[in-house]
Amino acid sequence: MTALEVRDLVKDYPIRSGLRSSRLRAVDHVSFTLTPGRTVALVGESGSGKSTVAKMIARLEKPTGGAIVATKDDGRPVGDREYRDHVQMVFQDPFASLNPFHTIEHHLARPLRLHGRTKGRTDTRRQVEQLLERVNLTPAHAIAPRRPHELSGGQRQRVAIARALAPGAQVVVADEPVSMLDVSIRLGVLNLLARLQREDRLAVLYITHDLATARHFSDEILVMYRGHVVERGPADDVILTPQHSYTKLLAAAAPNPEERGRSLAEGVGAIDEADLTRMFDHHTKSWHPFEKAAPIAAALANPAGGKQ
Amino acid sequence: MRYYARKLGFYLVALWAALTLNFFIPRMMPGNPVDTLLAKLQQRGGSVGPDVRESYELMLGTDTGDALWNQYFSYLGNMFRGDLGVSVSVFPEEVTTVISQSLPWTIVLVGIATFLSFLVGVVLGMVVGWKRGTWLDSLIPATTVLSAVPYFWLALIFVMIFSTSLAWFPLNGGYDVALATGWNWEFINSAIYHGFLPALTIVVSSVGGWLLGMRNMMVSTMSEDYILTAQAKGLRNRRIMTRYAARNAVLPSVAGFAISLGFVVSGSIITEQVFSYPGIGGKLLQAVENSDYALMQGIFLIITVAVLAANLVVDLLYGFIDPRTRVEN
Amino acid sequence: MTNLSPLTGSADESAAAAAPVKSASAPPSRGRSGMRALLPSWSPKLVIGLVLVLGITLFAIIGPWLVGDPDAIDSIGMTEPSGEYWLGTTQTGQDVFAQLAHAVRGSLLVGLVVGILATILSALFGIIGGYVGGAVDEGFSLLSNVMLVIPGLPLVIVIAGFVPPQDRGWWTVALVLAITGWAAAARVLRAQTLSLRNRDYVAAARVAGEKRWRIVSVEILPNLLPLLASQFVFAVIAAILAEAGLSFLGLGAANSHTLGTMLYYAQNGFALQYEAWWWFGPPGLMIALFGCGLSLINFSIDEIINPKLRVPKPVAAKGGTPPPVAPPAPVTGAAAQAPPAPARAADGRDVVLSVRDLNVIYQTENPVHAVKDVSITLGRGEILGLAGESGCGKTTLAYAVNRLHRPPAEVASGSVIFHDRDGGDIDLLALDAEELRQFRWAKLSMVFQGAMNSLNPVISIHEQLDDVLTTHKPDMSKQARRERCEEVLRLVRVDPTRLDSFPHELSGGMRQRVMIAMAMLLDPQVMIMDEPTTALDVVVQRGILREIIRLRDELGFAVVFITHDLPMLLELSDRIAVMRAGEVVEYAPAEQIYERPEHPYTRQLLGSFPSLTGERGAFIRTGESSPLTKNEGAPR
Repeated sequence: MTALEVRDLVKDYPIRSGLRSSRLRAVDHVSFTLTPGRTVALVGESGSGKSTVAKMIARLEKPTGGAIVATKDDGRPVGDREYRDHVQMVFQDPFASLNPFHTIEHHLARPLRLHGRTKGRTDTRRQVEQLLERVNLTPAHAIAPRRPHELSGGQRQRVAIARALAPGAQVVVADEPVSMLDVSIRLGVLNLLARLQREDRLAVLYITHDLATARHFSDEILVMYRGHVVERGPADDVILTPQHSYTKLLAAAAPNPEERGRSLAEGVGAIDEADLTRMFDHHTKSWHPFEKAAPIAAALANPAGGKQ
Repeated sequence: MRYYARKLGFYLVALWAALTLNFFIPRMMPGNPVDTLLAKLQQRGGSVGPDVRESYELMLGTDTGDALWNQYFSYLGNMFRGDLGVSVSVFPEEVTTVISQSLPWTIVLVGIATFLSFLVGVVLGMVVGWKRGTWLDSLIPATTVLSAVPYFWLALIFVMIFSTSLAWFPLNGGYDVALATGWNWEFINSAIYHGFLPALTIVVSSVGGWLLGMRNMMVSTMSEDYILTAQAKGLRNRRIMTRYAARNAVLPSVAGFAISLGFVVSGSIITEQVFSYPGIGGKLLQAVENSDYALMQGIFLIITVAVLAANLVVDLLYGFIDPRTRVEN
Repeated sequence: MTNLSPLTGSADESAAAAAPVKSASAPPSRGRSGMRALLPSWSPKLVIGLVLVLGITLFAIIGPWLVGDPDAIDSIGMTEPSGEYWLGTTQTGQDVFAQLAHAVRGSLLVGLVVGILATILSALFGIIGGYVGGAVDEGFSLLSNVMLVIPGLPLVIVIAGFVPPQDRGWWTVALVLAITGWAAAARVLRAQTLSLRNRDYVAAARVAGEKRWRIVSVEILPNLLPLLASQFVFAVIAAILAEAGLSFLGLGAANSHTLGTMLYYAQNGFALQYEAWWWFGPPGLMIALFGCGLSLINFSIDEIINPKLRVPKPVAAKGGTPPPVAPPAPVTGAAAQAPPAPARAADGRDVVLSVRDLNVIYQTENPVHAVKDVSITLGRGEILGLAGESGCGKTTLAYAVNRLHRPPAEVASGSVIFHDRDGGDIDLLALDAEELRQFRWAKLSMVFQGAMNSLNPVISIHEQLDDVLTTHKPDMSKQARRERCEEVLRLVRVDPTRLDSFPHELSGGMRQRVMIAMAMLLDPQVMIMDEPTTALDVVVQRGILREIIRLRDELGFAVVFITHDLPMLLELSDRIAVMRAGEVVEYAPAEQIYERPEHPYTRQLLGSFPSLTGERGAFIRTGESSPLTKNEGAPR
């Protein structure tokens, strides 16, 4: 069963320099499916196109090519009008994603009303408090009238998660939901997301640059590099037995206390020439060439820094 | 290059907009200015040939039967040839002649005064911003009084104090009328003497704006990380203040020069009136009083062109002092 | 800041359950309402401004009813102020005070109407253009920029010149002034709208399915209110001034009483020549005072828009200390009794920097003890990791060591001693401003978090490197300086031809390399690095860490490395100090912290980083009954 299918997604941004205009391909033929109750992680560095994919799924950006199809529980496709009920998003920065002018209640009541899920004032208030309780913000009646600046980062991100749940979404796109939070509260927020996912059988797209949480938090991992998916497969397979030289590079760059003293002395490594045109799929245990997509530009491929 | 091309393009558009505005304003107004004008002209003993009439009609618009488009293009043609018509109030001088006699006075006066007030305002703003939290902060409200004072009223006060009571400076005029106009020391000296009070008026009333803008930017800039880095580098305070803080803080003042220049020029026109200064502001009012439409429009155009040119120069300068504008994005 | 409140280690488990909502259990504060949050806070400036504006407005409303006919002519001619005529009379014996009352009313009315019209126009063009974007925005902003560069008053004069005086109605003048006066505000509003439009909460509203008009009016407009208010105030001042100028020239509305017409009659009645200050003085003064009052109100509004402009309240009443140099701290008895700094650190290295019982306090209304009794020794060539979360005081500590902290932060007690390579100890807290300046960078340099923001954007890399050499080594020749700059760039593997680049022309990783190169210019003995790699991608980050280790090995400087990333420190540093709420809770060699963490907070931090290749931690995906949601409760 599928909750959302992404097929051959392409996004070009025009670049104007002088009179010439060219295109930057931010996302190049990316395909994957999200299923209820499962989490897919999209892993990559800044500029890999992972956030662009998120924005396109949330309909904040229009795809240049390809299709995004959402499907209901009964198998029928989700229409344009219902799309916002079905697909919601949690943003990276909880300090920016809540309007400083409005109360927490406003942030939750608006989506409830917009999607016709409440009847009357008292019902709205009751549902807002229920939502707050679901994300462990209690006592809810005390939190609801507050403004974002009165809450901590972790609390704000919980509000943002509650907002995504308000319209009854089946698909949640979480764009680096914990990277702006203090380290000691990150796992708490991720665990909350995981619990809600189980309870509501949500299909979650978890976008992150952190390989470790991607592995522990998700079922499937897609590694993105310069607009391409270069490796995909079950979480443990991708992280523990990486095949693509870029994934290996990422894994090697992650801090590793076990390797104290040694890993820093070694070189960072580089991306193989052959890997610029292919993707490894752990499901089929085979390499797939980028069929329709352009190869990764060799000149930009090695990000190791230094000799630039 | 792209930055400069864009700026140049913008000012061409602005020039075109000013010319077009100039063309349509008289056509939208009630009455028939051409007849008024020609009647005045004849009063002064001018013979009105058909070509003179046509030139006025193009500029002021009457139902000549000609299509509006044709009138518009002929008008633009006249403008580019520098044909602004004949003045009525200073008949039979050409409008261009009248303007060329008075324009240098204004440009020198307003130019020097603006430059000085920018310089003084920016330097004071730098110091006041740098020493934030000291007694200098109490200067800030005082500057707002200055910038809220009407230019011409300040001029009146200055005239009363320095000319009428103390008699340090002449009451009005741009130079000693007993002297012959020319590039000699005596004349220039007299021009400076006469121009001092008008310039002082402009400087005093406009310096507050620059000061405040610079001070606020200084305060914002000082919380930037590169100031902290400069301090950690052990640089001397004076160097941090000028090369790190002020160098960045001055950018918005330069970028916003256009807004301020408009105010200064407007203020100067009225100031000229108070001092009966032989500049272009006085001529503009003379033209309005005498319904000398040709001169009026000519002066408006010239002032606009001068302001546009000054802004273009400042914008080009901005491209020079902010390296970020020079890159292609 | 509340997570700076003292939290003892042993309370962790019991506090865990209640902690997430600790602040919520306080009586429900209804919070400041949206509107109230936008109001300026009281200050003398605001009070004076309001008094001026309200007083003059009141005079304009009531005044005209209390005075006689302003136009009534009297044969007494021009007289000085007296009991009967408070402000004297004009040449024709008219009562100046009566005229003033009517004129203020007229001017204020023009100002108000033009202010409203101009603000509506600027909001229309600025906000709509900024939000809609695309061709509409291009068109609107071109229009407002053109309107801005065409000088307003000459245009108004020309228009007034074409309209015969009897046709020049009050509304015509107001309309013309509004049309020529909206552009500057539109430009400001557009820029702000553009910035608000890209905020995540606007994106969130779009994802929620809000309609466009609702996003503009409910999500964006309220956040623009302070700016709109400030632009309105500015428009009122500008309109009153412009109308006064126009009327002074005799081009104002027919039969109107404004301050400008008063001045016009004063000028034409030779008030100046007769030195009748009571005639032309009060009208100008009224304009100046009203404008001044509005500007003072605008100051308070500006401080809402740009919080940086707020003057920090000097609570400690130490007088205004300019930010660059903090006052030397009094060394208290506690520090004096502290044992002399050991010549050798625990692992046998020579000590280069020793911090003893350092206390740093933010002297605000509720003083915050940001650094508490911190003692640390840094060995020569050692990499010391300073780990902790935001607000734990690690950055404050690092800045205080070099006395870079700014008021209201103050070093309350303790000592910071630098043990120079050439022998001799330097008491950093006792140095005077000039000695401190010479010490900085020569012996101790710093690398800050955001490399983009640490480099001055408008001068070249070379000039910024060169600045250090010209200041600290005035004897060096230009050639030698250039060579040294190239040498340090080569050390961090940046092409020396990059010297003439500007910061924006370099990638993030390269900028941080340049910063490290700059830090090495004077061959310092200690380098303090505050989150130097946090903003960078992992692969680039890795490259920079390697450089730091390699250079340390080659050049032998000691590093204080500050970060929240404990795994990175475990790999990188010799010893680690874990900070929390201003205190060092654990201070031990890295292996020991990794293998045998003693403090619960250290264990908690370690547990926050799931291992990449190890077992899936029990806490992940098994529900939420973990102690890790702990001190998230307090708002920051």
